[in-house]
Amino acid sequence: MKTRVPKSINQLLKNKESKKLQIQKQSETQQSSQNKDPKDNNLSSDLNKNLDHIKKTLGNSSDIVSREFHAGRNAEIKIGVIYTDGLTDSSSVQEFILETLMVSIRNARLDEDEFHSDSLLEVIKTDSLPVGEIKEISQFQKLLFHLLSGDTILLIDGFHKGFALGFRKWADRGVQEPSSQTVVRGPKDGFTETLRTNTSLLRRKIKDPNLWIETKQIGKKTQTDVSIVYLKGVANDKTVKEVKDRLDCIKIDGILESGYIEELIQDDTYTPFPTVFNTERPDVAAAALLEGRIAILVDGTPFVLIVPALFVHFFQSSEDYYQRADVATLIRALRYFAFFLALITPSAYVAVTTFHQEMLPTGLLISLAAQREGVPFPAIVEAMLMEITFEILREAGVRMPRAVGSAISIVGALVIGQAAVEAGIVSSAMVIVVSITAISSFVAPAFNMAISIRMLRFVFMILAGTFGLFGMIIGLIIMVLHLNSLRSFGIPYLAPFAPFIIQDQKDSIIRLPHWILFSRPRLISQIDMDREDTPPPSPPLGDNKSAGSMFDKLKKSKRVMRD
Amino acid sequence: MKKNIAFIWVMIFSTMILAGCWSKKELNELAIVSALGIDKTEEGYLVSAQIINPSEIAGKSRSGRPETVTFRKSGKTIMDALKKISMDSPRKGYMAHLREVVFGDKMAREGIKDALDILARQPEMRSDFYLTVAKGSTAYDILNVTTALERVPANKLFTTLEQSEKVWAPTKTVTLDELINSAVSKGKEPVLMGVYVYGDPESGSHFTNIQDISPSSGLRIDSIGVFKKDKLLGWLNEDESIGFNYITDNVTSTEETVSCAGGELAISTIRSKTKVHGKIQGGAPRIEIHVHSEGNVGEAACNIDLTKPESIKELEKKYKEEIKKRMEASIKTVQEEYKSDIFGFGDVIHRAEPKAWKRLEHNWDQEFSNLNVTFHVTAKIRRLGSITKSIQAEIGE
Repeated sequence: MKTRVPKSINQLLKNKESKKLQIQKQSETQQSSQNKDPKDNNLSSDLNKNLDHIKKTLGNSSDIVSREFHAGRNAEIKIGVIYTDGLTDSSSVQEFILETLMVSIRNARLDEDEFHSDSLLEVIKTDSLPVGEIKEISQFQKLLFHLLSGDTILLIDGFHKGFALGFRKWADRGVQEPSSQTVVRGPKDGFTETLRTNTSLLRRKIKDPNLWIETKQIGKKTQTDVSIVYLKGVANDKTVKEVKDRLDCIKIDGILESGYIEELIQDDTYTPFPTVFNTERPDVAAAALLEGRIAILVDGTPFVLIVPALFVHFFQSSEDYYQRADVATLIRALRYFAFFLALITPSAYVAVTTFHQEMLPTGLLISLAAQREGVPFPAIVEAMLMEITFEILREAGVRMPRAVGSAISIVGALVIGQAAVEAGIVSSAMVIVVSITAISSFVAPAFNMAISIRMLRFVFMILAGTFGLFGMIIGLIIMVLHLNSLRSFGIPYLAPFAPFIIQDQKDSIIRLPHWILFSRPRLISQIDMDREDTPPPSPPLGDNKSAGSMFDKLKKSKRVMRD
Repeated sequence: MKKNIAFIWVMIFSTMILAGCWSKKELNELAIVSALGIDKTEEGYLVSAQIINPSEIAGKSRSGRPETVTFRKSGKTIMDALKKISMDSPRKGYMAHLREVVFGDKMAREGIKDALDILARQPEMRSDFYLTVAKGSTAYDILNVTTALERVPANKLFTTLEQSEKVWAPTKTVTLDELINSAVSKGKEPVLMGVYVYGDPESGSHFTNIQDISPSSGLRIDSIGVFKKDKLLGWLNEDESIGFNYITDNVTSTEETVSCAGGELAISTIRSKTKVHGKIQGGAPRIEIHVHSEGNVGEAACNIDLTKPESIKELEKKYKEEIKKRMEASIKTVQEEYKSDIFGFGDVIHRAEPKAWKRLEHNWDQEFSNLNVTFHVTAKIRRLGSITKSIQAEIGE
């Protein structure tokens, strides 16, 4: 008996391996069959053959429009135009291709023999096509890619080549105010689903020749354009290379949103904390680029990824830099405070009221005890009940159709607030705790950080319910240790707190005035550290010597700090 | 490796679940003890516990039941009696929010050391409650009186002591640490505040008592009780208590009444600082007490012109004499009657002359009663209030 069991396992394993091998072989043969016949891939000189092949490959899809016509003095040149309806500007096709070709080639100064030589293509390209974007193609694979991306394909009978003409145009949402990360003061434009629009929004913010945009296609089936945007000479080359390497590693059939990329390139999957930042706002992306970070734009989503993303970044709102420094500092401190409130309020309440009643002032204890009078559940169950109810309400609020919104909010307010207390199922103090927690969790400017707090909150509540404050403290210690172990593209997640970098404290919990933010975050760029050299504002010098000396002093201190 | 990690996770989760809220105490399962009364009986101790009924104090719907319940049980030891209270109480006694411990008069005279042991030993108890002695009655009587204004009698005692100490010189609050330290120390003897029930203790326990606009019975704090080690010897009167607090630098603000041209004048002490110096002179210990007191004129019920510097000088002199008189009275009574160093002069000598203290230590009680104490009082009148001349002087009668 004993010997049989491992044998069978071995057999199973062997079977598995052999299956794997088979699959590999199959895929190899498939691949080779695709690549085997170069003739099949290359365009043929026969126009009809080519068109037939395209149609056959695309399964006669109804949105593929093809048009054949004759051009030339005696209409001896057969030309085919093929494009995808809905992705192409058909009126432009008509105006700039059909019309010009039909007319201009007839008038072209070509000798009789030249009609059949290669120079015909040159002539058409240089003389007869008033199109900005034009690419020569000679392979079916490329042709299909361009066709399906919205380009118009021009094929000429008798040639192994064709042109892909950029007449892309499709239904677009237009630049609108982003629905997440709203600000009171600051630009209101947001990224859209179109990659080109998004890159243009970035270009409009940063008119620097060093803003480099590198694009590649990811997704075997979707062929989604993914652009890596960075400021050459500011972004760390190693990080750029790392991003490219990680993107190259992605083998997936489709990328529908930048979340796919995020999960495939992040440093650590098994962590509740996000290590990739995402934003809908071009100004946030531009600011990140200026810091030396790298933006990853994905076609089809307004959410742009930004790496490396550190813990502090999730507490920075773009508005912090548009408001005065003191206001920004106050609000940022408030955000960190709210983070801890959202994380530990329910668990602290549970721990103190079930294990450490001696920590409460007597008056508060009596008041809490009076509220808990007649509540049938232990505090931990009560807390769980309310938190879960709230999470359900919140999730319903996000997903429900707009029309039933008011119904949910009425039910929610009644259930979670009044009725539960009046029925004596929960204490009113618990309702207050849950409300504070809920409101605090909305303060986080980054939604993905708010979600991680939501998750951790339940862990802390269980810890508090079982071990009281000891459990909570152990939980917090583990959390901090874990945060310390995290890296985002090689940068310690907790920088500039751990490792402690004194000069980067200027833009962490506090936000000092812009004239002090003279250097980039130390760990991120590591190449070009200087940002600005604006002298601190000071009253006009005149004969006021003290002001002058102040100015000098500050300048000096700035210099020292930089050194 | 994977197996090990899974195993660790299973262990962590099972400890969390199997621990199952170990040693948890839900708020509505606690009987919050606000006051403990300890009396001595023939067999042992009689312990009364005043337990708060939270829903009657802070709840939304009150049923008209009393805000506190007093349970009483006797046992061989205090712990024994405390545990027996669980036979009466539906909830587990919770001592952390104890506000007040009252010793019965008889118990205080026979010694409170056993009670101090349990109070100090129980880890659940915070040591921020005040200890008092039921003057001339049992502790049970004190815990059995309803109080107006404050719903919890223990709280009433606690807050009365606390605010009275701040504005009225005779009051002295004593916490557990202080009491134990002075009971154990050789150079200092403890004191405790006396509390008594005015009016009829029997009718005071009824709910109707506090339905009167001026309750016929209630709790009142009295003067300071002098202890020797852990035994109560007797009581100081009000003047002596004031003197005691001046000497021990325990006066924050109070009133002094001095006579002035055809009436009385009240001076409100606003700050007072006392320094006690000890030294050995000719082999005998000596104590010097320096008091610096400042006050405002609080009430001038006499014909006095306060605008004149001479009258202020005069007042300051009287003010000074008044303080000195009280301290002298206090020391005289304690030295002659009780022979118990409640002022902590022994500690002062110990600090000043450690070598001499070794010699004096053994016979300190005797030394104390013969101790030579000199007073140096400076007193200042700072402000006269919103008006300068007294109304009596203005009217001119």
